[in-house]
Amino acid sequence: MSTHTHDDHHHPVDADAPLGYYEVMETAVRDLLIGKELIGPEEIRRQIEVLDSRTPALGAQVVVKAWLDPKFRARLLTDGRAACEELGISFYDDTRLIVLENTDKVHNLIVCTLCSCYPRPILGLPPDWYKLKPYRARAVIEPRAVLAEFGTHIPDDVEIRVSDSTAMVRYLVLPLRPEGTEAYSEAQLAALVTRDTMIGVVQATIP
Amino acid sequence: MTDTSTLLNRLANDIGGVQAGPIEQIEHQLEPWEKRCHALADVLDFHKIINTEEKRRGVESLGEVAMGKLTYYERWIAAFANILFQKAILTPTELARQMDLVAARSTGGEVRSNDPAVRSE
Repeated sequence: MSTHTHDDHHHPVDADAPLGYYEVMETAVRDLLIGKELIGPEEIRRQIEVLDSRTPALGAQVVVKAWLDPKFRARLLTDGRAACEELGISFYDDTRLIVLENTDKVHNLIVCTLCSCYPRPILGLPPDWYKLKPYRARAVIEPRAVLAEFGTHIPDDVEIRVSDSTAMVRYLVLPLRPEGTEAYSEAQLAALVTRDTMIGVVQATIP
Repeated sequence: MTDTSTLLNRLANDIGGVQAGPIEQIEHQLEPWEKRCHALADVLDFHKIINTEEKRRGVESLGEVAMGKLTYYERWIAAFANILFQKAILTPTELARQMDLVAARSTGGEVRSNDPAVRSE
């Protein structure tokens, strides 16, 4: 496929080597479903383009708009999905989006303890650590220790709320706008809103 | 509580709150087949063939040993195959035959293996 790049691999793979067992399975399942006309031959390619178009830059756009426009912020907190769709960010799945606002009293963190549910339409695909046992197991029971491993220290008088995603309900953290950014342009603000600030493992900070 | 009660109370995916080690902040770019597998999952969901909950249960049904040894997208494609068998959309025989065809198409019929050490020989 045209998306192939050689720096993607964990380990070098000889281009002439036989395909791996699971890659063969993936291709075979796809071939059979297309042969039975249950899925269209172009649908996988089109969905790959959709996946490639989703990055944390979209989430940053949403956060900056919420920082600058109180009415939008209110709509975003009421119905996250509808507010994102206002900005032209389509949801390609049936999920609901709840946006969790950080304040000086509350810091939010998102996780999916059962698997890897994540607000993919606005952030793209989750990082590996989000899908692995240590984060999933510990985020709900010792969030301060987890945050400390990301270098994030939340004062004891700030409540930490952990939200556990499901197949149907996804969360996005609306980070606190850092002090001292009053004169920042939208582009400068967007640069502060990283993926990890919207998962909640770090805070938005001025570099 | 008996020693076996946790086997019933917690399925293999249900790990929220259990003891675990430090978080290694690893990430990798998906390999092309992994991205195709992700796109396949979305397309199966769009067509209401396999939804997210069915996928998760399909992964759980692989059992704890396979869940621990297979990678993320290996678990997904294995789960999809099993779910498609259960729904009588595919049969194991036709999948096995198609896998042989795919392997032959890509390698001229070389023996395939999932072991990278063997693969690279």
